[in-house]
Amino acid sequence: MSEKNREGKRTARERMLEQRAADEASSRRRKKLIVGGAVLAVIAAAVIAGVVVQNERSKPETPTAAPAGTIGDKNLVIPVGAGNAPSVLTVYEDPRCPACGSFEREFSATVDQLEDAGKVYTNYHLVSFIDRAVPGKGSKNGANALACAQEAGHFRDYHDVLYRNQPDETNDAFGNKAVLINLAKQVDGLDTPEFQACVNDDKFGGWVSSVQQDFDKSSYKSTPTVLLNGQPIYPKNGTEEITPANLAKWVDAANQGKQLGTAGSHGQTPAPTSAASEANNPSPTAG
Amino acid sequence: MFPEGGSLMAGPAVQPGKPVSAWSEWVGTAVRLGLAVVWGWAGLAKVADPAEAAQAVRAYEILPESLVKPIGYGLPFLELALALLLVVGLGVRLVAGVSALLLLVFIAGITSAWARGISIDCGCFGGGGHVDESQTTYLQEILRDTGFLLLAGWLLWRPRTRLSADGWLAS
Repeated sequence: MSEKNREGKRTARERMLEQRAADEASSRRRKKLIVGGAVLAVIAAAVIAGVVVQNERSKPETPTAAPAGTIGDKNLVIPVGAGNAPSVLTVYEDPRCPACGSFEREFSATVDQLEDAGKVYTNYHLVSFIDRAVPGKGSKNGANALACAQEAGHFRDYHDVLYRNQPDETNDAFGNKAVLINLAKQVDGLDTPEFQACVNDDKFGGWVSSVQQDFDKSSYKSTPTVLLNGQPIYPKNGTEEITPANLAKWVDAANQGKQLGTAGSHGQTPAPTSAASEANNPSPTAG
Repeated sequence: MFPEGGSLMAGPAVQPGKPVSAWSEWVGTAVRLGLAVVWGWAGLAKVADPAEAAQAVRAYEILPESLVKPIGYGLPFLELALALLLVVGLGVRLVAGVSALLLLVFIAGITSAWARGISIDCGCFGGGGHVDESQTTYLQEILRDTGFLLLAGWLLWRPRTRLSADGWLAS
């Protein structure tokens, strides 16, 4: 009898403890599930909110406003020279890129001559990606100032001045808008209140971002990228090294037997008229 | 008679698992906060310019264009969420697991870019995109991520840390 009683008591006690252990285990499991669920919820909420916010913040690939006279289906390209010139020189440049600076210092005189002679129609893409790798805003502010100069009809001269005064890559002088405005004094008629406001207000910042996003999606990975009639010629055209003399020679060879474009000066005067220019293409400061 | 609360029954009532020394719980706290700094820094550096973050993803030439922006936009916030959870110390083992998985994905991506001869910056802490071949630092990037992976590994192994939400919820 007492033996059986003891058995019974022990079993009840065992059961109670087992129950308590099971309760604790299930409570721990439940806690774990709640914590796990909370963690995943935090992560999911952050990622979804992030995608929405960044989507909202990102500048559109098609700009809402572009400088006057820009060409291309999204008006991302700044043309210089006669639109009816037989050859197209395409140049991707970042205002802060040192190789672009040396290219400009070596070639800008030749390119200007080729444009003025109606031999090439230059299409500039103002890339602004150095700011990503080197701290500063010189690429973006510089590109915006160039867009402002285009708006004012002084792109080529300001472009040449900017590259002649390019600081070292790590020196973010072009990030300083006062420096950009000061350099505009070297271009007759550019240093106006409109130009200053355009630079200070980052008027074409959205356009600059669109141009950069277009470059991001292109197959070109570095600057300067220089194409003559779509064919890369920098640093070499086939096996031939690019030099001012070679560039002129290549252009003449490409233009052989073709009618030259309207001759002009400063690359701004002649309105692009031929099929070489693209559809929605208001002429830059024509007339 | 059996004594009340016989030793046989005492087992399930005490805390499960091996007793972990206070020393290792404090190490765990340092590791947890260290990994939080890594994720916080990595996430913040990628938030400022969405186009830059998208290009860092695109430059790996692994994902289709349709996924470039969602990943580029969302990844920094995933990193920030992991940082926040690590600071609070909530669900440390799960967060460490997600961290380790993410780091393995990063290491695989960098290795793949290296193997294919693409010249990019990993974009791990902002930046990213194409760089000159002479400026690639794949080995350093992989070693750095492996170091972070060790931090995540520690927390997977010893998720109990001092000053954590997990600790307060368990007590």
